Amino acid sequence: MRGFKKMKLDKIIYTLLACAVTATSCKKSFLDEQPSTAVTVTQSIQTPNDLADAVNGMYNTMKNTMLFGRDIPVLGDLLADNTYVNQSNSGRYLNDNNYTYAASTSAEASDIFSQGYYSILQANRVIYEGRKLGTSPDVSQLVGEAYAARALIYLELVNWFGTPYTVNPSAPGVPLVTVPSYVTGFSAKPTRATVSAVYTKIISDLDSAYALMPTGSTPLHAINSDYIAKYAAKAIEARAYLYEGDYANARDAALLVVQNGSYSLATTQSAFTGFWTSPTATTTKLEKIFELNQNASNNLGNTGLDAIFSQAGYGDIQATTDLYNAYTTTDFRRTLIIDGKRAGAQAYIINKFPNYSNTDKDETPVIRYAEVILTLAESYARLGDEANAKIYLNQLAKLRDPSFAGYTSTGDQLKTDILNERRKELAFEGLRFFDFTRLNLPIVRPAQTQGYASYPLVPITDYRRILPIPQSERDANPNVTQNPGY
Amino acid sequence: MKQKLLIFFLLGLFALNNAFAQNRKITGVVTGADDGQPLPGVSVMVQGTKVGTLTDGDGKFTLNVPTNSGTLVFTFIGYATQNLTITGSNTYNVKLATSTRQLSEVVVQDSYGTQSKKSYTGSAETVSGARNENKPFSTFQQALQGEVAGVAVTSSSGQPGANNQVRIRGLGSITNQAAAQPLYVIDGMIVNAGDLSQRTNGANSSSGSSNALAGINENDIETITVLKDASATAIYGSRGSNGVIVITTKRGRNGKTQIRFDAELGKSNNVPLPVAGKLLTPDQFKTFFDEGFRNYYSSQINPATKVVYTPAEITANIASLDNTYALTGPGNDWVKLVTKNGSQQQYNVSLNGGDEKTKIFSSVGYFKQDATIIKSYLERVTGLINLDHTISKSFSITTGINASNVLQNTPLQGSAYYSSPWASAYFLRPFQMAYNPDGTINSSVTGNANFPTSGNSNPLYIAAHDSRSLYQTRILGNQTIRWNIVDQLKYTGYASADYQNLEETTFLNPIMGDARSLNGSGTSAYSRYFNWLIRNQLDYRYDIPGIENFFIDATVGYEAQRSAGYLNQAYATGYPATQPTLTAVGVASTPATAYQATSNYTFDAVYSRVGINFKNRYSLSASLRNDGSSRFGTAKQFGTFYSIGGAWNIDQETFFGTQKVFTTAKIRSSYGTTGNANSLTNYQWRPTAGYTTSTGATVAYNSSSGQAYNTIGNVNLTWESQKKFDLGTDFGFFNDRLTFSVDYYKNLISGLISNAAVAWELGFTQQAQNIGAMRNQGVEFAVKGIPVKTRDFTWNVNFNLAHNANTMTMLANLDAANPLQTSLWLARGYDYYTWYSRQYAGVNPSNGNALWYTDGTKTATTTNYSAAQRVPMGQADPKIISGFNNSFTFKGITLSVDFYGSFGNRISDSWSYYLNDGTYLTGSNKYVYTFNNRWTTPGQITDVPKDVYAGGSSSSSSSFSSRFLYYGDFIRLKNASLGYDFKNISYLNKIGISRLYLYGRATNLYTKTYDKRLPFDPEVPVNGFSTLDLPQVRTFTIGLNVGL
Repeated sequence: MRGFKKMKLDKIIYTLLACAVTATSCKKSFLDEQPSTAVTVTQSIQTPNDLADAVNGMYNTMKNTMLFGRDIPVLGDLLADNTYVNQSNSGRYLNDNNYTYAASTSAEASDIFSQGYYSILQANRVIYEGRKLGTSPDVSQLVGEAYAARALIYLELVNWFGTPYTVNPSAPGVPLVTVPSYVTGFSAKPTRATVSAVYTKIISDLDSAYALMPTGSTPLHAINSDYIAKYAAKAIEARAYLYEGDYANARDAALLVVQNGSYSLATTQSAFTGFWTSPTATTTKLEKIFELNQNASNNLGNTGLDAIFSQAGYGDIQATTDLYNAYTTTDFRRTLIIDGKRAGAQAYIINKFPNYSNTDKDETPVIRYAEVILTLAESYARLGDEANAKIYLNQLAKLRDPSFAGYTSTGDQLKTDILNERRKELAFEGLRFFDFTRLNLPIVRPAQTQGYASYPLVPITDYRRILPIPQSERDANPNVTQNPGY
Repeated sequence: MKQKLLIFFLLGLFALNNAFAQNRKITGVVTGADDGQPLPGVSVMVQGTKVGTLTDGDGKFTLNVPTNSGTLVFTFIGYATQNLTITGSNTYNVKLATSTRQLSEVVVQDSYGTQSKKSYTGSAETVSGARNENKPFSTFQQALQGEVAGVAVTSSSGQPGANNQVRIRGLGSITNQAAAQPLYVIDGMIVNAGDLSQRTNGANSSSGSSNALAGINENDIETITVLKDASATAIYGSRGSNGVIVITTKRGRNGKTQIRFDAELGKSNNVPLPVAGKLLTPDQFKTFFDEGFRNYYSSQINPATKVVYTPAEITANIASLDNTYALTGPGNDWVKLVTKNGSQQQYNVSLNGGDEKTKIFSSVGYFKQDATIIKSYLERVTGLINLDHTISKSFSITTGINASNVLQNTPLQGSAYYSSPWASAYFLRPFQMAYNPDGTINSSVTGNANFPTSGNSNPLYIAAHDSRSLYQTRILGNQTIRWNIVDQLKYTGYASADYQNLEETTFLNPIMGDARSLNGSGTSAYSRYFNWLIRNQLDYRYDIPGIENFFIDATVGYEAQRSAGYLNQAYATGYPATQPTLTAVGVASTPATAYQATSNYTFDAVYSRVGINFKNRYSLSASLRNDGSSRFGTAKQFGTFYSIGGAWNIDQETFFGTQKVFTTAKIRSSYGTTGNANSLTNYQWRPTAGYTTSTGATVAYNSSSGQAYNTIGNVNLTWESQKKFDLGTDFGFFNDRLTFSVDYYKNLISGLISNAAVAWELGFTQQAQNIGAMRNQGVEFAVKGIPVKTRDFTWNVNFNLAHNANTMTMLANLDAANPLQTSLWLARGYDYYTWYSRQYAGVNPSNGNALWYTDGTKTATTTNYSAAQRVPMGQADPKIISGFNNSFTFKGITLSVDFYGSFGNRISDSWSYYLNDGTYLTGSNKYVYTFNNRWTTPGQITDVPKDVYAGGSSSSSSSFSSRFLYYGDFIRLKNASLGYDFKNISYLNKIGISRLYLYGRATNLYTKTYDKRLPFDPEVPVNGFSTLDLPQVRTFTIGLNVGL
């Protein structure tokens, strides 16, 4: 009896020991609980399909309200002379409208900075991981898109937060981070690279993108304006060179897009109206080169760019009378502005993005063919080739206004005409402000009956022509210097 | 060979034990006479000798007695001493009768065993479940309020089934409220507690509160043990920091089968608002409104005339405004309209019986609380079966199944929601009419006499059309196998499964309220939690040879646990306005969210505990646990936690007998480490690329799947740790009829998880890191017992008082405004909840303008709110909490009165800006205090400024300042009951009724506050901020207990 018990005791001790051993050996996997909607970042990109998902994620972060989705296009016009915040408003963008932003209070500076680098992180990840996946056409296309996206975001950051290259290329730009932070760790405190260093990186990234993206038969994403295509990278490069004041390179880049990009302009009023009213991407390369998708299932809702203009949305921001009057009555582009009312008072309602009330909302524009043509015209003009400048300028201007006979001006007047044409063509797409900053011109902001009577003139000495580095970022990273004046 | 060895071994042991005398071995089991439960730690002595032992965890004892021994003496604290003559038999089973103290206080039970309170080195307290049976509280935590020193329970919402904030010895974590809650254990199982609803935590969350433990029936609870210090909690390792609440359900008892039936019925109403917080009547409102505009216009330039408004113009303007806001028409009382008489009922039937081998307890319960605010209720059905079975001398099993279903409907709460009925009572003007003249509910959203499109809507319409329901079903099962392998060596296998699911449906109508702009919205959420735990444990007791009553208890075990959460949600908008009864999500035209995720965690641990007991005089204990968890980053996945403790029972010393003051005296102390894994969400440490964002939004692009690196992670992220020190003493007087306990503790908390800023260029702005530190120290004092006991009259008392001081010692952003709330201050050396406000300096008697002190020196005042500096203004969490529970029994009559008190804090509300002064005149009602005390005439001394629409020159007068910091001290008569026990009534016995008890009860009958300006109920959440949650209720019930 006792012996039986003893044997049983042995057994249980062995069993327990075995249990303990097994338990210890399976401990690691038992403690490894994986989330159901996310993948450990270091294992997240293993195949070209994963890479495509990561590129989608990159676009998804770029289309955010706080970046290209609203803040960038709104500020680019609001800080200049195209738009204003109506006195009847939801409280958004008042600091910007009134030029009262400061380092600790500017939500938009904070948004563009943080979301800009958040999107750069996504692009860095695609480049870093994509490089390990070989050189198949799809992988090259995807990595190329990430290079171009990174360049595009750095171009925004250096222009919002750095002195214009044309003013002082050796001024502090923005920190350059090109490796994803899960690789480098989170203790780094990068410093600001010079504006010229940032531009060098932008151009090098765009060259990489252009070189990587295949040309053959319809590569991935190539004919859908929701993605960055090979010639979209070139178009962004033309913009970068233009901002840099490198007109020869701007001309060459723009010319390459014009000659090889197969983009076209709308030739009729209905085609013009049609592409602006369409809420979807183009697959015919008509007008649009790159825009960010906002479809029925995934859009910014009432925080989108369309909602800040639409009277069915917040509708806070209207076109200035000055801008409206810049168009002739026969200009197609004037139809994108409605002479309407807000809070019972007359207002020029922006209708360039008319799909806010529809389930499929407007895509957010980033770069269009018309901009490339105007960049080409301006480059020619500034390089002294006024004949070519006028060819491209009039090509666009006459298509937009069939009654227009074309520009015949020369010299400074021609340059001014080109800038005015840019203003009319690219209004509400966030580019106007940079025309003033890159050319170092004072900004005259027209008074509006329904607007706020503040800040009518932004002289070239005004420190607010550059946004402040967000105070919280400087608290987190003391190595980043503040812009002068803040 | 083996057998021979064994015999040799046994002989050796026998020889050792018999080294001194010719002895015989006797064994037995000591149980409680009242319930048949085994009693561990009972002293068994041979009279007149030093021979004796203590019973083990199962009440068993083995004793070698000299052959000539005469009498065995069984002594145990709280029980009458019993003598037993030693006869020829070798087995002595004894039933001890209780003396004066309750059984629950003689042992401390946790997941890993039962320890004798006498030799226990930790700080733990046990509340008998019987105390809180039949109380009309929807959660057992509410009933726990004021019962145990150092346990703060806040029930700030009157919503039945709402989550309670429970803090043991102060705030243990700063991450969020859930991270500071204690660990809950039910019958050995570590359960998921807190608010698990997606309504509170998930995508599309709004307001509302649920309690994962709302399914526990207080009548099923045998004891609740609160474990406080290191000695008591370190065995729970990385989850012991915030203290542990151990619930043990009732089990069957040996003897006559008992059937018990309990019923309670009653009514409830709101705890009355403090006088200062009553709202204006329509007449008062009109007076205040007109005066505010009169004062406003009298200093305004008329744009038409370019001069100040003339009195005639002002009168005309006011008449026009009165007309616009319908102030000339009828008014109504919104508080009355949104409240109703609540009702309360509960019924419980239980069966309790068994024999030596098998015991059973089973019960079913029904509880329904219809709260005092429209559309707020809870209904609960519970069932419990506990079975104990002894298979053989070596094996026994126990098993239990606890099932419950809770149906709860929770209206929107707080001021952030237009559809919140209680907030609407404050924010609607008395002249916005609830009913149309024809008696139908007013749903018009046009015109100022009706309801705004974006603003508070008609709560009656909301109540009639919206629903926010929760079905919470739980099945908690457990099984234990005990095997007495050999004498003194036991194996315990334990397995438990806790299955819980929550089905939540929300419908907000398209006509009025928060979803009007969405044309109505609906949410259907399903959450399922399956939580299992297994435990293998060996217990060994070793008696030191040669010394009687000197032994070592050792426990080693292995534990693994996994909780798997499965969460689903569909949210859609656009409901047909013409079909108000169709509320299913599928009806809506626009699908908005389809969310599905899992939320899992695992823990896995080896643990051990050793106790050394020398004659119950000195005891030492130590515990060690190594915990691993999926919640900890790979770099710090395993943690080791330990405790050591000692106790000295002075009453066991020989010199103790020379004094007559104390009957018992004990000093105990412990030190050790624990962790808090609650601050971590399940996958927080893991750097991940998500296909959704943290709020469940997709990362897709152009309808193709997308992933983004959106969770920064931190592989170094791990538990928050606590070093706990406790020094305590217990004294007993008058044969232990009265006991005093005093504890001092000091808990140093480090590794608090806080978000540290990272350079934004890295793509993220912050990362959770273990960087903060704070300290809790305090004293606890408790008196328990029976101060008066005569033949007919007994007074039973439980008084406790605890003081805790919290001090921040380190944090990422110290010396800055509290990141959680801008009106709180977070600085080294200050309490975590320290108010940070401008100091109100009263009203300028000559013109009625509000004044603030410019700085902390209080030397100069200013009328410019922004120019006044903010200063720390006292703490929001109470310094002292106290409970004072009494029951008086005279013959068959029992009167119970339980008080709860909270002292030393200042409290505020988040809507004072709207409900005071004329600043915000058209959009809310006002507190009557502001109406009664407003400045009207030059020279008037008051603290409420002049009533001016838009605030006039003191436009910030109602902005947050010390003016709206009220003294939060209160004493509340939480529970009062009066009952009669129909004892020994032969008629009842004749019809088979052995017990009949009838009683009446009232809860929250009386509240004493200490600030006449306080406009809201003083029982607020631990952060000191009252929100417009549902008011507390006062319940009046009658009940009966019948025993068969």
